[in-house]
Amino acid sequence: MLERIPSVIDVLVPQASTYAGDIDGLFTIILVSVGIWFFASEIVFFWLIFRFRKKDGVRAQYVSGEKQSEKKWVTYPHLAILLFDVLIVVAAVRVWYDIKQDLPPAERTVRVIGQQWAWTFVHPGPDGEIDTADDIAKVNELHVEVDRLHHYKLESKDVLHNFSVPVFRLKQDAIPGRVITGWFTPTKTGEWDVQCAEICGVGHGLMGARIHIETAEQHAAWMAQESPLQLAANAAQKQEEE
Amino acid sequence: MAAITKVWRTALVALGLVALAGAAAAQQSTPPGAELYELCAQCHGERGEGNQVVLAPAIAGLQEWYVVAQVRNFKGGLRGTHPADVAGLRMHPMALALETDEELKAVSAYVASLPPVYPEPTVEGGDAERGAQLYGTCVACHGPDGAGNEALGSPRLYQANDWYLLSSLQRYKNGVRASNPANANAQVMLGIAGTLADEQAMKDVVAYIMSLRK
Repeated sequence: MLERIPSVIDVLVPQASTYAGDIDGLFTIILVSVGIWFFASEIVFFWLIFRFRKKDGVRAQYVSGEKQSEKKWVTYPHLAILLFDVLIVVAAVRVWYDIKQDLPPAERTVRVIGQQWAWTFVHPGPDGEIDTADDIAKVNELHVEVDRLHHYKLESKDVLHNFSVPVFRLKQDAIPGRVITGWFTPTKTGEWDVQCAEICGVGHGLMGARIHIETAEQHAAWMAQESPLQLAANAAQKQEEE
Repeated sequence: MAAITKVWRTALVALGLVALAGAAAAQQSTPPGAELYELCAQCHGERGEGNQVVLAPAIAGLQEWYVVAQVRNFKGGLRGTHPADVAGLRMHPMALALETDEELKAVSAYVASLPPVYPEPTVEGGDAERGAQLYGTCVACHGPDGAGNEALGSPRLYQANDWYLLSSLQRYKNGVRASNPANANAQVMLGIAGTLADEQAMKDVVAYIMSLRK
């Protein structure tokens, strides 16, 4: 539902996951709610300054804020802001549940390993399973298939990192000693940034990688080319030729 | 009395100006490599003494051509891009921080200019006598005294940390440090490390290399 709310964020960073629109919608709700109250309070503030400016023969008045007629200037906006807060919280909890609490069944699983200062991505090979002989491990290069629900299993070899894919609107801390499972479904083909979003040492700013979102055909071709079994077969053939 | 105070004041101001001029001159004569090295110092230490905890070997006084070659390898992805190369993966982005080849050369020259530290051996269980026999394979490139050979791209060995030599041999043998076929020197070492039967043989040869220090 939230993804239908127009957003300005995707002008700068495209949305490339099923939930990117929900996150952007949430930002829009917060921006509009806070924006309305920002402008309302500034208008009232400057109007009061102008209305009760210094005038000849008029003494300044001390307002203690105890009378009902004075208190309402604080109470009514306060209640209205609480109402807006409830709106934001309800929307945020729905989005949080969908992205972080709920874990739809995976069509593919990739292992994401952070370390100072690189990402290693272990992709399933042609057998579709990870932790088997045909896994494809790549440094700073993640290949996924568009419109497939992926689980990621996130680990860290050393310190805190954060697996951040801006086009997915995804950020997840990696914590040494834990394997954190999450999900995403890419919706747009192309090559985009992956970054670390948790200060992890002197090389943090250089800990960038690329995600390649491919069509089924492109992904199958990449897998066939990079599969360790295929690479071994190629090497054996080359040796034979020599 | 007032005249003496004035003399003192003038002398102090003059001294201050001289000190400032000296500092400015020192600033100008500082090689840019020293500034660039501040990034390296985070792991390799201010004197290039290394820090095993973060897998950073001693680099002070390494041969300049070797430092240039290795940093270029790291930068170009010829080294430090294997998923199991924990230390190498740290160096790859650090080398990328050197934007130009001039910067790379400047920091390499600074590293080479640091006085060598000859770190204390930490690897136990190596037999230098057995290692001397095994070292026969290394002589062709690294020389009988372990001094290296620039023409062959073989660095001086006895200056390195023994733990670093051991881990390098291990990483060469399992292909981690020779994962990119375009790195020709690493491919040579892949074959050479393969002739060492096991970790004990590696420790023996490392113990012998340590004994080559004069």
